[in-house]
Amino acid sequence: MAAAIAWRPTASAPGDAALAVAASASLRGAIKIENAVKFYGVGPSRLLAVDGCSLDVRAGEIFVVVGPSGCGKTTLLNVIAGFHGLDGGAVYLDGETLCGPGRKRARLGADRVVVFQNGALFPWKTNLENVAFGPTVQGTMSGAEALERARWMLADAGLRGYEDAYPGETSSGVKRRVEIVRALMNRPAVLLLDEPFRALDSLTKSMMHEALLAIYARNRGTVFFITHDIEEAVFLGTRVAVMTSRPCRPKTIVDIDLPLPRRHDVVTSRRFRQLVVEITAVVHDEALQAYALGEREG
Amino acid sequence: MQSARAVLEATVPFRRLSADSLEALARRCEVGEVAAGQTIYDATGPVEHLYVVRSGTVRLTCAQDGDGPGRGLGPSDLFGCHALHQAQAAAEAARAESASSLLRVPGRVVLDVLACEQNGSAIAEALVEALRGPHQPPEDSRSGQVDATPSAGAVKRRGATAMFSHVAAHGAAYLRNRRTYARLAGYALFFGSWYLAVEVFALPRFAKLPGITQVVHEWLSRDPTYGLSLHTPIYYEHIWASLRRIGIAFALATGLGVPVGLLLGACRAFREYVFPVFELVRPIPILAWVPLAIIVFSGSETPVVFLTFLASFFATALNTLLGVKSVDRRYVLAAGCLGASRWQAFWHVVVPGSMPFIFTGLQISIGVAWFSLAAAEMVSGQFGLGYLINTSYTMVQYPTIVIGMLTLGFVGYATSALVRFLGERLTAWRARDLGLGKV
Repeated sequence: MAAAIAWRPTASAPGDAALAVAASASLRGAIKIENAVKFYGVGPSRLLAVDGCSLDVRAGEIFVVVGPSGCGKTTLLNVIAGFHGLDGGAVYLDGETLCGPGRKRARLGADRVVVFQNGALFPWKTNLENVAFGPTVQGTMSGAEALERARWMLADAGLRGYEDAYPGETSSGVKRRVEIVRALMNRPAVLLLDEPFRALDSLTKSMMHEALLAIYARNRGTVFFITHDIEEAVFLGTRVAVMTSRPCRPKTIVDIDLPLPRRHDVVTSRRFRQLVVEITAVVHDEALQAYALGEREG
Repeated sequence: MQSARAVLEATVPFRRLSADSLEALARRCEVGEVAAGQTIYDATGPVEHLYVVRSGTVRLTCAQDGDGPGRGLGPSDLFGCHALHQAQAAAEAARAESASSLLRVPGRVVLDVLACEQNGSAIAEALVEALRGPHQPPEDSRSGQVDATPSAGAVKRRGATAMFSHVAAHGAAYLRNRRTYARLAGYALFFGSWYLAVEVFALPRFAKLPGITQVVHEWLSRDPTYGLSLHTPIYYEHIWASLRRIGIAFALATGLGVPVGLLLGACRAFREYVFPVFELVRPIPILAWVPLAIIVFSGSETPVVFLTFLASFFATALNTLLGVKSVDRRYVLAAGCLGASRWQAFWHVVVPGSMPFIFTGLQISIGVAWFSLAAAEMVSGQFGLGYLINTSYTMVQYPTIVIGMLTLGFVGYATSALVRFLGERLTAWRARDLGLGKV
């Protein structure tokens, strides 16, 4: 009977009203990728990076994409973000065309915010100014409002005391969290994470995973997460897609039926191990094929 | 109903929190209503939250006691001490005795808040006391240990910061001393060799050079042999003339060079038109410009300023261009992602990102400016240190040449130190980013 209590928050973040329009749509962030094709280079030696790739990412889920390195996962993310265009197929966000026929490349916008592999906090701005950057340049809030909300969001993510530090003065774990907070400041429909924890040591990484889940729990939206770390994928994901290598397309999509919220001790559970083993087998197969392909081509 | 903040403030441990911390904690609170007899948590599950009773009554029963009486709680009482050890089973059950209203806050948040608090350790102790309650057997010493962690951590962190700044201050002072010492030794060696070469050994090549004692004597003399010393107004007129030209030329070169460089870097079309011309004109030595400068600009002042400007301008513009190119594309993409327009990305990302290169350029530019100024003053112009050196040569006033040269050195050094100082102030983030510590 313990679960029957309905807990509700007592406070809301400053500036929530300014973003209320975004929040009023109940669940946003469904991404549909249809038959995506992407080449790199031109002419006969061009590389087919993505071919016939179709994916359905449901609104509000944590969708994790795993695959051997260099398989084209990042390309997909870049297309959704609007850094690249497609050579065929289309990408939709909540039914609207991001890119596809008639639209070469998705518009860059704060509804899809990327957290970069190597981090992209502006080193010349303090953490607080970094977090306040989005709403300030978009003009959705005044500078003072944005700073107030940024302060609140940082405190909410357990980052009190780091507001006035510059990114260069803080540890890499803190930097990643600040960057995720900076992204969430904009209430994005989709948070795009490109191996964001790759450079972190394993302890920091596992703390970051919990931190991300905690932040996610309070800022519902879709998370599109790219990694080649399978344990990370199973720990974070509601679904995990294993991609084939060059051209990139989904090979299997596994439902992660571990209950949310997850804590770090879930990794010792039987089901967690089963899922990891299952996905590892598929990825391993794929990596071997990619390797053999490389041998033949080389 | 009371606000979350008021409820927290009514409890013994939390009323001692600072207003900031209290606010932070209150924001993360959640409220919930429980019916009489409802279980809040049982002995086996993990407890993640710390609970405060707003109204009603709650009973805690210890698993070991079986169905013993346990402990009754009323408004402003706290429970859920196991939330402060992470991921542990409760070992006690909490059940509402009557319809109650509860406030809960994640244990982790409490630990975070306490870690940031000034007297976090005292509050942590009070919290342990409050959670343990009067009837709790004292064997539960683990909670004491865990609760002490944040305060110990906070104290340690503060201690580490203090120690670091202490070591840094001393280290810096030590370095500064050594550096000063080395610098003095360098000067001594330079002037010593000059003295020895000219005045003591009178080496053949150096025979005609003015000796250091002669120069210093002339420089300080109230009645200089060649009419120029620290005590004659003409000396300052020369310095002022040169400084004024440098000031105008450097300001023009910066005012034009930085925007042109930014434009060259950011605008591809502009770069394609302008850069080839730029590369053609840039290598032409400043002295080669002298005749044209004199033909085009009338008088003796403008050609000198123009020549000085020209050299500075190229150095500034080129370094600014390099600066723009040095800005990582990630930052521009990130700015776009966060909703910045192209112009905003340029202003908030490209400009500050290229600042380190711009200031390197300005330092080169001020050096080049002095270089070309002296050359220009030698061929055209009246007054100025270059002019002074040249006329002293033609009038065989050798000590005055050296006075002019050394003055150029001092004034040039001072101006470039000023530029460096400004640059370091404005791009302090870069030193932090590169892990070089505070500048």
